[in-house]
Amino acid sequence: MNTSKPYTLVRKAEPYLWILPSIILMSIFIIIPIGFVFRMAFSEVTKAGLVKGFAGIENFAKVLKSAKFGLVLKNTIVWTIMVVVLSTVLGFILALLLNNEFKGRKIARAIVVFPWATTLVIQASVWKFIIDIDYGALNTLLKTLGIISSNVNWTPTPEAYFGWEIACGIFVTIPFVCFTALSGLQSIDSSYYEAATVDGAGYFQQLFNITLPLVKPSLTVATVLNIIYVFNSFPIVWTITKGDPASRTDTLVTYLYKLAFYNGKQGEAAAVSVIGFLILLVCASVYMVSTLKKGED
Amino acid sequence: MKKLIALLLALVMVIGLVACGNNEAPAADAPEAEAPKADAPAADAPAASDEKVTVTMIAAQYGNETADWWVGFEEKFEAANNGIDLVVDVVSWNDIYTVVNTRIANGEAPDLLNIDVFADYQADGLLLPAEDWVSEETYAKFFPSFLEQSIVDDVVWAVPDLASARALYYNADILEAAGVEVPTTWEELKTVCEAIKAYDAEIYPWGVDMTTDEGQACFAYYAWNNGGGFVDEEGNWTLNSAENVEAVNYIVGLVKDGLTNTDPTTETRYDLQEMFASGKVAMMIGPNQISKYCEANGGINYGIASLPTNGDKAGASVGVMDRIMCFDNGYTDAEMAAVTAVVDAFYDDEPYAEWVLMEDFLPATSSGNELCAQANPGMAAWIDVIGSAKFYPAAKAEWADVKLGVIDVLQQVLLGEDAQTMLDDLQADIAG
Amino acid sequence: MNDNIRVNWQKLLSRIVLYFVVALVCITILYPYFVMLLTALKSRTEIFSINGTVFPIDVMWSNFADIWKKAPMAQYMLNSIIIAGGSTAIAMVCGIPAAYALARMKFKGQTAFLGFIIVSQMFAPVVLLIGIYKVMQVMGLTNSLLGLIFINAAFNQAFTIWLLRGTFMSISAEMEQAATIDGCNRIQAMFKVLLPVAAPGIVTTLIFIFINAWNEYTVALCLISTDTIKPLTVGINIFNGYNIIEWQYLFAASIFAIIPVVILFMSIEKNLTSGLTAGGVKG
Repeated sequence: MNTSKPYTLVRKAEPYLWILPSIILMSIFIIIPIGFVFRMAFSEVTKAGLVKGFAGIENFAKVLKSAKFGLVLKNTIVWTIMVVVLSTVLGFILALLLNNEFKGRKIARAIVVFPWATTLVIQASVWKFIIDIDYGALNTLLKTLGIISSNVNWTPTPEAYFGWEIACGIFVTIPFVCFTALSGLQSIDSSYYEAATVDGAGYFQQLFNITLPLVKPSLTVATVLNIIYVFNSFPIVWTITKGDPASRTDTLVTYLYKLAFYNGKQGEAAAVSVIGFLILLVCASVYMVSTLKKGED
Repeated sequence: MKKLIALLLALVMVIGLVACGNNEAPAADAPEAEAPKADAPAADAPAASDEKVTVTMIAAQYGNETADWWVGFEEKFEAANNGIDLVVDVVSWNDIYTVVNTRIANGEAPDLLNIDVFADYQADGLLLPAEDWVSEETYAKFFPSFLEQSIVDDVVWAVPDLASARALYYNADILEAAGVEVPTTWEELKTVCEAIKAYDAEIYPWGVDMTTDEGQACFAYYAWNNGGGFVDEEGNWTLNSAENVEAVNYIVGLVKDGLTNTDPTTETRYDLQEMFASGKVAMMIGPNQISKYCEANGGINYGIASLPTNGDKAGASVGVMDRIMCFDNGYTDAEMAAVTAVVDAFYDDEPYAEWVLMEDFLPATSSGNELCAQANPGMAAWIDVIGSAKFYPAAKAEWADVKLGVIDVLQQVLLGEDAQTMLDDLQADIAG
Repeated sequence: MNDNIRVNWQKLLSRIVLYFVVALVCITILYPYFVMLLTALKSRTEIFSINGTVFPIDVMWSNFADIWKKAPMAQYMLNSIIIAGGSTAIAMVCGIPAAYALARMKFKGQTAFLGFIIVSQMFAPVVLLIGIYKVMQVMGLTNSLLGLIFINAAFNQAFTIWLLRGTFMSISAEMEQAATIDGCNRIQAMFKVLLPVAAPGIVTTLIFIFINAWNEYTVALCLISTDTIKPLTVGINIFNGYNIIEWQYLFAASIFAIIPVVILFMSIEKNLTSGLTAGGVKG
């Protein structure tokens, strides 16, 4: 683009016209609703959901005072880190495999897409069905195969339940990561590898010195969006345990859902979501400052 | 490649256009869908020639046939009442609170709502007293004890649409094989459970549901049959009474002794019902629907009995009641009359009995009772049970907190916390 | 000689390992679908029987036929296609110019705009419901497909813009400049030169939006009350009753819901990966 030409007013305004439709769309349908959340977070809200006046930080104070909040926050952080990190690692390894030429690759890739093409509520329902101790499909299968003789309790503790929920989260997130990574892999010029082979570099040396650095940028944006989506994910935990027992498997979103719609505390629920937003904002800002700046320059 | 893209883009555009077109279509084909919104501004503007009065309603989806039944009701009602346009939106129980709260928060409350709770709406002054919108003739049909459950400040704010009561369901074959009788006390219950476990370790002797779904019922089953409960005679919260502590310890004890299903905090009443019908659970407390359910699914040999009590303490069944309420949407006389017409038509003996039978609940009106008892002899016994049932203190403003509170207590105690401490904390939280 | 044999052995071994691992992964991924299909073919009694079997004893193909009778599945599916298709169209119409401006022009507030996009994603839809409903109420779009189309388009702007921006940046601007010299204006140059080259990235984005909109549940649930305009995700709730959840129907309906998406994917899989390449590298 030629930047030496003097900018006229029209030229200066032009970029804004190009982004205008997108800004309008997002402002009306997302930013205004976000405004409502903030209003509620600082308002006194009746159980039926009517806003009755300014409440200052009372909602936040109540939330932070609650004995459950710390536990729920810890769960959310464990959930987000486990799902994002493991799905990224596994998705990346799967992408490395699928990047090889082999018979049936097209079918294998199509299969990887499956978990993405199914609504989360249904996915979670199926998993709940699979791990059930009494009529679960996994026990039935293992019994039929003769691997176990009586039903195994796959979820003896709340932690085990949470583990399964995390596994389910990873399962549904892998396709997204896999395809993002796969695209990055395919863009790598094969001459890099040829040169490295001549230099006598082994497979793992090539992986760490060539592949990873080149794929990294393609994964960063995807990872940030992924963190946001996983942090706010609702259907998996809700379908499998609803946060039971005693909030041991609650994340912020299931917790605030119960506050809002089971307990009639919509002001506090809004406060929880604002706290979640601030956490994400801090994480994203750190990312913005480091990765994005580097990329822009 | 290019062709493919072009084709796709074209397809997407076409679909987009169809979508815009289609959005208009339902308005034309099905005026009832768009009418309420269209009517709102029209009310201020000069009225069109023959304007219809619209009544909107949100109804809870009790079963697979609920939605169909309401469609039929709408058609019949509109045929009989030319000037009224009835719009019923049937919403599943999973989602009804989300849907209703979203609409209320936006000032778009339905005219009539069929749901379980009412106190929160009443507290915000959103409801009209039942006298305003229920005709005298219909009002006279309800059992007074049911109407009492919806009183706040001496005014009845909602009318019952149906009721359900809980009883002990047992698998007669399993009990016989294990050589035991139906338990009537807590002590017997434990002995029977142990005998069943000794007979076949694969069977869960006792079904327990402590989930967020309906854990408060579990609390009530044991608290009420131990002389405890949520409130005292004057209506003060008594959550940490000695009876309640004993009740919580008793039921958690059964779970810890391995006499129940493995996962009471995630296995809901529906899971238990499936397992009872397939002979995996020997006994459970449940509503009358289980009978029909068992008969439709394999037909085990089941029996029904009263809930076991602690020693010789007075027993009580747990009654559950849902309601119909009317929101104060600033009605004209014509609109109010239309609402009354809908309510009258719904509680008209024949359609009402048909509805209650279809949903397999218990009727809330005396005339409905007679018709239902005629059609289904099994119901007569249940109608007696509901007569002795206690109801949740749902008219109290703190009820939602108490409900989730006792569920949390059960789950915490199961995880090893102390029942007394937990209930003390809850009591302090609610009443303190 | 020895070396050659060893290399061949190594090659063969790595092939075997590759096939083994890929097969294992595919089986794991397909397992829930296998369970879904077999459950959809069982009767209620069999699903919850104590001595369950992996395969149905009585194969109930009728379950698949029943759902079409018990619910207007075709109507639901059409609604879902309209919502997903319409959202995709609007998201692209708004997203392509924005991505183009970000990739090809320099202006104040560029980084702020990118930040704004990310921030827009930070609230769970379930939290935004009340505000969304209010907006729709003001615009007269509650209980309409058009409202859902706008919402899904807006929710997917972030992904659309970030992905397309990367795609456009990875394509050299020279050709468009040449076209401009030939007398095209910027918009013509974009349509004639840039978009055809960026096709893979565009296809990728289409798929992403389409799937996300196809799977959306929460907002549709609250906005749509008329049965005839419900999307599939909300419509199949009819099998989720107060006393009974009809698993066999729920799963049978879900299998139908997967088919259109998987077909779309398979027909487009090749473009998908090359498209993401462009989007990713400069992202």
